[in-house]
Amino acid sequence: MRISLNPRSALLLVLPVFGLLLWLVLYPNLFVLWRSLVGDDRFTLDHYAAFLSSPSQMEALGNSLFISLGSVLLSALIGVPLAFVFHRFDFPGRRIFAALASLPVLLPPLVGVIAFLFLYGESGILTRSLQVLLGLSEPPFSLRGIPAILWVHAYTMYVYFYLFVSAALKRLDESLREASLSLGASRTRTFLRVTLPVLTPAMVGAALLTFMTSMASFSAPYIFGGGVRVLSLQIYNSKLNGDLEMALVETVVLTLVSLLFLILLQRYEATGKYRAVGKGASPSLRPLRGKGLRLGMAVLGISAVLFLLLPHFTLVLISFSQDGTWTTQILPPRYTAANYGRLLADDRFLEPILNSLKMATLATAANLAFALAAGWLLIQRKLRGRRLLSALTLLPWALPGTVVALNLATTFSISDPLQARVLLVGTFWILPLAYFIRNIPLVVRAVQAGFEQLDPNLHWAARSLGASWFYSLRRILLPLLLPAAAAGSMLAFVTALGEFVSSIVIYTVDSRPISVEILSQLRQFNFGSAAAYGVLLILMIAAVFLLFGRTLDERHRPAGQ
Amino acid sequence: MARPLPAIAIAAILLLAACSPAEDGRVSLVVYSPHGKELLSDHESRFEARYPRVDVKWLDMGSQDVLDRLRSEKNNPQADIWWGAPSDLFEQAGEEALLLPYRPTWAEAVPAEARGSGDFWYGTYKTPEVIAYNSALLKPEEAPAEWDDLLDPKWKRKIILRDPLASGTMRTIFCAMILREMEKTGSPEGGYRWLRGLDANTKDYVPNLTILSQKLARREGWVTLWNMPDIELQRARYDYPLAYVLPAGGVPVVMDGIALVARSEPRPAAREFYEFVTSGPSLVRAAREFFRIPARNDISPSELPSWIGQTPIPVMPLDRDLLRQRSREWMRYWDEHIRHKGDSGPAAAPSGGMGR
Repeated sequence: MRISLNPRSALLLVLPVFGLLLWLVLYPNLFVLWRSLVGDDRFTLDHYAAFLSSPSQMEALGNSLFISLGSVLLSALIGVPLAFVFHRFDFPGRRIFAALASLPVLLPPLVGVIAFLFLYGESGILTRSLQVLLGLSEPPFSLRGIPAILWVHAYTMYVYFYLFVSAALKRLDESLREASLSLGASRTRTFLRVTLPVLTPAMVGAALLTFMTSMASFSAPYIFGGGVRVLSLQIYNSKLNGDLEMALVETVVLTLVSLLFLILLQRYEATGKYRAVGKGASPSLRPLRGKGLRLGMAVLGISAVLFLLLPHFTLVLISFSQDGTWTTQILPPRYTAANYGRLLADDRFLEPILNSLKMATLATAANLAFALAAGWLLIQRKLRGRRLLSALTLLPWALPGTVVALNLATTFSISDPLQARVLLVGTFWILPLAYFIRNIPLVVRAVQAGFEQLDPNLHWAARSLGASWFYSLRRILLPLLLPAAAAGSMLAFVTALGEFVSSIVIYTVDSRPISVEILSQLRQFNFGSAAAYGVLLILMIAAVFLLFGRTLDERHRPAGQ
Repeated sequence: MARPLPAIAIAAILLLAACSPAEDGRVSLVVYSPHGKELLSDHESRFEARYPRVDVKWLDMGSQDVLDRLRSEKNNPQADIWWGAPSDLFEQAGEEALLLPYRPTWAEAVPAEARGSGDFWYGTYKTPEVIAYNSALLKPEEAPAEWDDLLDPKWKRKIILRDPLASGTMRTIFCAMILREMEKTGSPEGGYRWLRGLDANTKDYVPNLTILSQKLARREGWVTLWNMPDIELQRARYDYPLAYVLPAGGVPVVMDGIALVARSEPRPAAREFYEFVTSGPSLVRAAREFFRIPARNDISPSELPSWIGQTPIPVMPLDRDLLRQRSREWMRYWDEHIRHKGDSGPAAAPSGGMGR
């Protein structure tokens, strides 16, 4: 859409948006780039030469690329059809399962991945069941190597496609489809030429997030890789071994690859003509005719969601199983509530939960405000530096969480107004700030996709009828943006709620989050209690999705329907 | 029409109000430590009972994380005490001026290897690194008795190890093996050969202790390398089928310590805490309740639990200086040239498939 601003109000937005991005996103990255190019106090390319000439580094780069592209493809194959099933058709149980389908975006940190091991690992529930069923002497498969990483990625990252495409489908103008069909186009043709192009911004956004998340993904290759080299692990290993320069070079390469993908997608996106023109949205769910069809669709959608939630169920099972007893059996032999009891007996039990809620709320509120401003600017086709803005807003996603945290810790370790550095290390604020930075891409992409689909004529109609700019924003634009904005904010909120990799580097006495508490339990070998904490986190996330999912569904129904 | 945005704002404000910390006029003392919630809260409450004007706050994290943190907080130190890390991390921190020298009252009661250079740290607990096995699968006499027994082909695909890059225990054992061979030949080659043999029998390297203990209990592996106190703890608390062997030829012992963090103004409460947690009664309590072996040798064995008092530990002598200088190089070599190069690693396992 094209809603131009007058130059002065444009500047009011441009300055803070660019200022924040340059200061919080670009500056720490340049810091890293600069340090990767300096050795013994002089400029050098030696570290890069060492990287390029190492076969194991090249192998890591190749693997990372392959895994990321594969994850995008697989996630789209799961997420897009699921969005269609749940947001184009109506059947019993649709609403609740539509909300639950978003759940896997956040497996509780640490224990979530372990749930995969208990499900699909060599001694997992599914693996052992199959082994017994087929009468094999060896486990039929084990969760290891590149296929395992792709499996875990697809399992968790399809949610980006699912949520973004769902939001787009809610805003889809049904009259376009009807027009196309009534003009004699076939269903396939209508899908390819009408529906799909309208979904492009959402798909591009989801593809980007999936690609970048996979590039920076840590837990999956760490736990299931079985020695496969990928860039994110190389960074971690180099750092552990005290080889800081190489870690910096690897970080720069990883960022460059993500940026390259971004630029390619932007080129592609720029060629598309997918803006929805029409009289606002009249999204409609197609009630399915015929009992068989209704039942079929319900079974298909619901069983897919249940399958995708299997790791969550496994975690619940672990949280009720008695530590140390589940060894050779398919299912835990003894059950207990003691794991939850141990949590409740701790008088500091609520502290991490309140901390995480507080920080996630702060960060998400900031994210939403920022995304509305940035999203607005991003659709100004005439705005110079639009591409740069887009790249900057996505940059945080290209960086592994550890790197974001380390950058913050380095840049904001002293107060120096001349260098635009403020002392934040050791304070409460650094963690919400890290969450904010890491979630910028998520919310901005979601809001931007919402803006792209918006019909600008609604705004102009309101203005010509005497509404002020602000009134139109409040009563016309924001309500129409709500599905997209809420999808993005919801994701950001739950991501912040369970964030681990940055938190562990910079949390303080006053900002100890849930993920760090789970780690504390694991460090004591309180495996069941760690799982119980994970289950509590899942319940909180499910509550968020159900609550907001419902608000959304009711809100966007146009009056009169 | 529901309006979620104002609701969120109100919730946020309420939350902020509810969570603002209460000031009660106590001096707060911040401890960074890997010793775990239970040991830490126990010492916290006993210390606060004795010194009511001090409010002890601790953060529970790995010892490498503590070092990283002290580095990044150098200009705004948050911690007063660093309680728990292998000696070489303390030595490193001392060199980087992150610590304050302090000579505890019991300094003479610990052996020389528990006294940090420049008084920057002192030893608290001893951690012997041992061979561990699933006791439901192996009888004590069937388990590998010496380090070299691990290379026997009968353990092929039966050993599961923690990733040595991320684990202090594993690093110490690997480097100890290289040092042992170096004494004979003067070069690390013999040690590399030994590690290659171990890699050939190793089924998998896992990222953390939790996964290791689960995999061992669930019989994905039979044998591993671990430390003695952790196995005692797992056995006593959760009935895990785990047991260990102390190779008679000697075991590497990691010395765990305590140090004061460098701050612009050292706090008296920090010294009180240092002395309190390393006092005789505290060490005995740590041994009984939390399976820690005290470094001080002025504690009567009769006060300690039997697994400590009655087990003589054959200490393997280690050249600590050499270890500190070369361990990085050795581990990098291992990562690039030895990891998964043995023929039974996951890469060659049929299920590894496209793993490589």
